[in-house]
Amino acid sequence: MAVLTQQKPTTMIEKINDETWRRRFLRNVLVPWIFIAPLLLLHIYVVTIPAVQGIYMSMTDWKGVGQNANFIGLDNYRELFFEDESFGKALGNNIIWMIFFLTVPFILALFAATMLSQIKRGGMLYRSILFIPYVLASVVTITIWKNLLNPQRGIGAALDNMLGLEDAFGIAYLGRSETALMSIAFIDNWHFWGFLMILFLAAMQAIPPVLYDAAKIDGANRWDEFRHVTLPGIRPVVLFMFMMVAIWSFLAFDYIFLSTQGGPGGASEVIATLLYKSAFFRFEAGYGAAMGVIISIFAGFIIMIFVTLRRRGWDI
Amino acid sequence: MKGIKILFAIAVLIMALAPVGAQDVTTVTMWFGEGSTLDCWGPIMLEFNDVDPSIQLEIVPQADTWNVTRTAVAGGGGPDIVRTPGPSFVYEMAQAGLILPMDSFSESMGWGDFFFDWALDLGLVDGQLYSLSDELETLVMYYNVEVFEENGWTPPDTMDELNALAAEVEAAGLTVFSHGNASWRPTNEHFVGEYWTQVAGPRKVYQALSGEIPWTDESLVEAIELLDAHMQAGWYGGGVDLYFTNDGVYRRTSLAEGSAAMNIEGSWAIRGTVEYFGESGMTWDWVPVPSHDGTDYYTIGMGNTSSINANSPHPEAAAQFLTWYFSPATQGKMLTNCLKGPAPVAIGEDVMAELDPRIARLYAELSDASANDRYGYTTWTFWPPKSDVYIYEEVERVWTGEITAMEYSEGLQELFAEELAAGDIPPIPTR
Repeated sequence: MAVLTQQKPTTMIEKINDETWRRRFLRNVLVPWIFIAPLLLLHIYVVTIPAVQGIYMSMTDWKGVGQNANFIGLDNYRELFFEDESFGKALGNNIIWMIFFLTVPFILALFAATMLSQIKRGGMLYRSILFIPYVLASVVTITIWKNLLNPQRGIGAALDNMLGLEDAFGIAYLGRSETALMSIAFIDNWHFWGFLMILFLAAMQAIPPVLYDAAKIDGANRWDEFRHVTLPGIRPVVLFMFMMVAIWSFLAFDYIFLSTQGGPGGASEVIATLLYKSAFFRFEAGYGAAMGVIISIFAGFIIMIFVTLRRRGWDI
Repeated sequence: MKGIKILFAIAVLIMALAPVGAQDVTTVTMWFGEGSTLDCWGPIMLEFNDVDPSIQLEIVPQADTWNVTRTAVAGGGGPDIVRTPGPSFVYEMAQAGLILPMDSFSESMGWGDFFFDWALDLGLVDGQLYSLSDELETLVMYYNVEVFEENGWTPPDTMDELNALAAEVEAAGLTVFSHGNASWRPTNEHFVGEYWTQVAGPRKVYQALSGEIPWTDESLVEAIELLDAHMQAGWYGGGVDLYFTNDGVYRRTSLAEGSAAMNIEGSWAIRGTVEYFGESGMTWDWVPVPSHDGTDYYTIGMGNTSSINANSPHPEAAAQFLTWYFSPATQGKMLTNCLKGPAPVAIGEDVMAELDPRIARLYAELSDASANDRYGYTTWTFWPPKSDVYIYEEVERVWTGEITAMEYSEGLQELFAEELAAGDIPPIPTR
């Protein structure tokens, strides 16, 4: 009973002298911090400090070599938004890229996952086949597709030969301003959508079968089941991937750089390829850092939208 | 007790001997791109280790060598010998104090005795020698001898002759130039630089590089317009869009197998040309790129440069390696064994006599042109970095019809003026 009537320590001195408080503090506060400290220090060293340095560098004229970096305020940002036409074009391409990847692979993956979820035997084989492109290195994928899309020896040329046509399908998809960006998006999507499909399939398999049974009893057809059971069941995964794909769209680099390096004439230029060229070819590392900060701001903005939606009760 | 004594004696012996080895041998490090070039160059460079056993060269293969090197050097590390892709890159490193001025080594080791005067000048930054240029390059017009003989064609000397020949080549169902930039987008700048030199003339280019005339000068714009006209006519790889998708293999095979008649390419392409023509069984030869007035102009370029890291603990040893490496004997051996573009040094006639006469003729003509005011400038060697990137990136917008040749030239003038004012222009040999 004495314990029940004992007063809680209020001042810091009382707390330190109190055995129970000390144990609780050790278990609930100190030990977790001790465990997380190495990771936290590593994070500060490899993420936080470089990020802060990057923000500072974006406000300098640093060339990327040596220590000479003059502070120029927001000049780099002003130039990016008001003077640099290529940045505006690259930003536009990033937005097109995002729209493409928020639609095409999602539709393909949802369709394939829905079909595969109903296969009882041999489903693993199909899943593996559709997933294989995802594990290929980007340089391998690009090499394969550059050959397949080659106007002289690719699929298009073979089709033209077979059908007796001339330059109907065998065109330089990566060499034309109007088709270059979408051709690269097609190649990247070829590699990517299988990954989405596997995620959606896993989410679909976690939906309790009784829900489908109940829907059937209520007279639902396949479409109704998909709309009222499957989609709500996998919604958190779909929305999370929406957020991730939107962020990744602003980081697009390797497929573009390996296939066209942003050409022809900047037709497939995106912010990341422009950033790379500024920092490493033009010796404008400060300017490149400003582009990097802008990419981060876009990513932050997308995350903020999703956080807001979650706070409003969306199941994300 | 006896065992302890023996151990003690061994320990003393090791301690006595160890410093001798450590102090006597100095290791000079060099980072080098992985691949077939290193396979051929490496063993020859390592022959340096037999010259003076107290200095040993260590070659460290690196992927993406230049970016790795500059990151390491900026961080206070990196190899003793710093190789860059060209004089304009040296400028930035010298300004940042990352590489050493080498004037004292040049004087004491007699670099001026074997380097051409203008070549040493290329390594000057604010009057001090910071780099030695390597891999002397130029662009020439390669052609397929059998294709020319079968059709009764002769290689053109002037742009007018080239125009007439191109019409015949197209009529024969062949591609005029086997070209494409899918493997290396900066290929574009080869043609821009070449047309400026061959159409407007090297003196005009020199004046523009010196800031005496703008890049919007009529003759320089005319050169870009002519290049665009040739591009639109499908001379380069069969069409503008095909040019953007043709890769290096296409470039070599189509010329070597006779589906293309000619190819304007650098002297660095000799090795590949020899290889592909060897496989096809046909014969290659070269002529100077046709010019407006028929004069044989050769644009001069450098493939890379070598400097000494400011953080090198033994710059003297690094300089000794450079002296050996750039000597005419070593350069001659690398030319004959690997078909490496030699450094701009006076290579002996005995070495040249061992070469394929076509290759020997190329370097002899280049040497003659540089001595007789018939040399021009390659963009990657003599233009500052931002202008250089602009030249090869934005010209695609001319070819895709987005901007005109004049708008392209105005954009270049604006950028070049900024870099000129900032003093970022690499050293240009005076004429």
